[in-house]
Order: sequence, then structure tokens, then C-alpha cells
Amino acid sequence: MTWADFDPGFTLISLIVVVSAFFVVRAQNMIHAVLWLGLTLLGTAAFYARLNAPFLAGVQVLTYVGGIVTLMIFGVMVTRRHESLEAEAATVAPERGLIFASAIFVMLSVVMWRSAATIPSPAPVASSADLARVLLNEYLIAFEALSLLLLAAIVGAVVLARRRDLETSPQGPVVPQATEVQP
Amino acid sequence: MNEFVRGGLYGGGIIVGIMSSLLFVLWAERKMAARMQSRIGPNIIDPTGFLQAMSDVLKLLQKEDIIPEKADRALFNLAPVFGAAAALAVAAVVPFSASIVGADLDVGVLYLLAVGAVSVLPVFAAGWGSNNKFALLGAMRAIAQSVSYEVPLVLAALVPVMLAGSMKVSDIVAWQASHHWLVVWPFFLGVPAFVLFMLAMLAESNRIPFDIPEAESELVAGITTEYSGMKFGLFYMTEYLHTVIASAVAASLFLGGFDGPGGPGIWWMVIKTFVLVVAIYWLRWSLLRFRSDQLMALCWRWLVPSGVVLVVATALWVVFAA
Repeated sequence: MTWADFDPGFTLISLIVVVSAFFVVRAQNMIHAVLWLGLTLLGTAAFYARLNAPFLAGVQVLTYVGGIVTLMIFGVMVTRRHESLEAEAATVAPERGLIFASAIFVMLSVVMWRSAATIPSPAPVASSADLARVLLNEYLIAFEALSLLLLAAIVGAVVLARRRDLETSPQGPVVPQATEVQP
Repeated sequence: MNEFVRGGLYGGGIIVGIMSSLLFVLWAERKMAARMQSRIGPNIIDPTGFLQAMSDVLKLLQKEDIIPEKADRALFNLAPVFGAAAALAVAAVVPFSASIVGADLDVGVLYLLAVGAVSVLPVFAAGWGSNNKFALLGAMRAIAQSVSYEVPLVLAALVPVMLAGSMKVSDIVAWQASHHWLVVWPFFLGVPAFVLFMLAMLAESNRIPFDIPEAESELVAGITTEYSGMKFGLFYMTEYLHTVIASAVAASLFLGGFDGPGGPGIWWMVIKTFVLVVAIYWLRWSLLRFRSDQLMALCWRWLVPSGVVLVVATALWVVFAA
């Protein structure tokens, strides 16, 4: 590792990711933690973009920042009372945490120490058409299996939501009476 | 490094261009609204009322900047800035002419959708940071709305992507130039997709008839309740930015972009964008606001199913007819 290898873009993104990840864990306010998590995920997307994987970067932002962080915010807001959002930053068992964290630190350090100490040259840019071709030919089975898994998750979520309706209403399932809208 | 300089210069030029077009859009909207309501509109500053927007900005700059005592100061102050930045970021991949484009990404359409999805976070931060019931309710509505309307938006954007076989916005424009504009042929796919895209885009950017996050009859001013001075001005500007840029995106994806009879050029893009902006404001001043549950019913019972049917039909068309 020499100064010639110094990569300001990589360093900047790494700093953003590390600092925001730290605040995800340390933030006292749940909403702040979730918003910091959004920044961490954006930084990860920036890594993907720098490694010539623009499609992955786009999907990362769309699903994680746009979808999951938004859903987490929604979850925090509908499950917690407005006043009790201040959460004790987890100090349940600091000793155990310390042991696990140092074990992971040692493991990662060993791996990094043994690997070649140069930044690998970025992979050639794959267009999204190439990606689609590979995904729907070579990896078709894995792709379809994942789709099935997601479908099962959606069906499961609907079943869980409906069951709660059954339990809470005395006359059986509540059929939501949404007003008809003519588009 | 050269690419960065070029991108910076073009990006700066495009941002300045869009921002200055806002002055004209603001003036046109005020005059149009006045006509539709049988009044005259701004005419005090100068006879045409064109300088009204500039004097409004001057006024907003001088106003006291009030921050509520119990507000979440960081979020409260950052939200308007990030909101405007997210709205402007979409313009990066829009080709305004063959050469005027900030960054012609290979995954352009995906980028637009991703930035659109992120832009709800500043809205939420504003509502949350204000520490005000009405603002928080507005933010909740904005998030529910944005998550729901993301689905028809993606489905509608898939139609031009599938037909052109590329996610690069300039490729989609080129495909339309060598075939037909998407709303012309195949119109049975293009027109519904265009309508779906515009509706979802309006809902994503919280415009009338989908502006329940700031429904002034029930929520005071929604997320902007606690904002004053230029921070409110930024929110106001962001709304107009959304409208202009969403129109430019729709013009590129469905109306042939910078291509048109008599040769391609930036003037086509300007004309098409302005026509769409006028259409949006026409809707704004003639329609009522949806109720929150009606909005969700519209999305999940009508727009999402028709989007799915549209995507399947497009796939069949691409395989068998084109």
C-alpha cells in the first residue's frame, strides 16, 4: 500500500459508511437511527457504483433506501408512541458484545492481512442487458427459486394480517369497505 | 477527470436552466389559475406580473427564520435542502438534447425510480423534525402514498424500457425517433402507460389531486406548517421542480423526447415539457383532492392491476408482434 494507491473517492465513501453505521448503533432516537441507516445504505450503493455495478447500485437504493428504510420509519411510527421514541442505546451485555466484536475484528484483520494488499482493478462494465441474459439463462433456477421465496413471503404476510382481523372482530373477518373510486 | 469537468459544467448549466425556467412556470401558472377563476392575477409589480416571482423570493429572503423550540433542529433545517436536491437529482439522466445530458447512465430509468423513492425521506424528515401533529400526519400520509404509488410508477416505466430494450433514457428516445413516439404506436400500450406514469408521478410528488400530505383544509399546511421564510420557499420551489422535471421525464419516455418533426433539438424538449406542465396545472386547478383511503383504493385496486396487465401485454407484443 503506497500513496499511489490512495483513492480519495473510496476513502470518502468509506468514511461516510463507517461514521453513519456508528450513528445507527449509537443514536438515542429511533428515527435518527433509521435515517442514519439510510445514509449507510446509500454509501453502500456508492461502493457498487464505483465497482462498475450500476444496476446493483440502483436496485440497492430503490429497494433498501426507498423501500426498506421507508417501511422501517413507518413501522417505528405506528408501533411506538410519539413520546417514547428515545431508546436506551443497547447496553444489555457489554462484555458479550466486546468479545464478539473483537473476535470479528481479529477475523477480518487476518483475512485482510493475508489478501493481496492492492485495490483490485475494477471489473469490466457489464451492461444491464448482459446481466439480464446471464440471470435468465445460467442462473434461471436460482432466480425462479428466489421469486417463489418472495411470493411465499407475500402470501404469508397477507395470511398473518388477515388472521389478526379474524381474532379482533367478534363477527368474523372484517371485510374492508373501501369507497369505490372511478379513475 | 475530463468526464467530471464535463459532467459538472453540463450539470451546472442544466440546473441553472431548470431553475430559471421556474420563474416562467410560476408566472404561467398564476396567470392561468387567475383566468380559470375569472380574476386577473399578479399585475402590481409590473403590468404582466412576470416580476412577481422574483419579488416573492426577495420577500421570503428577508423574513424571520423561525425554528420551533422543540423541533428536531438538524432534521428541520436539512429537510428543505435535501428535498430540493433530490428533486434536482432526477434531472441528471434526462437528455434535453442529443448532447445536453448530465450523465447518460446505462441504468437511467432505474436511477430515476431510485431517486424518486429516496425523495420521500426529506418529506418525512420535515414532518418529523417540525414536532407538530399536523406536520407529522402529513409526513405519515406522504410515506404511505409514496410506498404505494412506487409500484404503478415502476410498472408504467417498464413499458418503454421493454419496448426499447434498454434502460438508458437516450436509447429510449432514439428508439422512439427510429420507430414512433410511444403514445403514437403502439398507442394501446403507450397511452395507458403514459397516463399511468403521469398519475403515479403526480402522486409521488404529492401534487393535486394527490396532495393529501399537505391538505390545507384538514392539516393546516401539512409538512410545511412550521416552516417560514426561505425554508418554506425551498419547499415551494421543490414542488415546482418536481412538476417540471417529472414532465421532462415523461416527455422523454413517452413523447419522443428531443425528437420531433423538423429535426431533433432542445426546443422540442422545452415545448413538450411545458405542455405537460400546463396539463398538470390544469388538473390542479380543476380537480378536487382525493381522500386518503380513496387514494389507496385507486392505487391498489385500479392502477396496480392495470399496470400488471400492461406489462404482460407489452411482453407479448415484444415477443410476437414487434
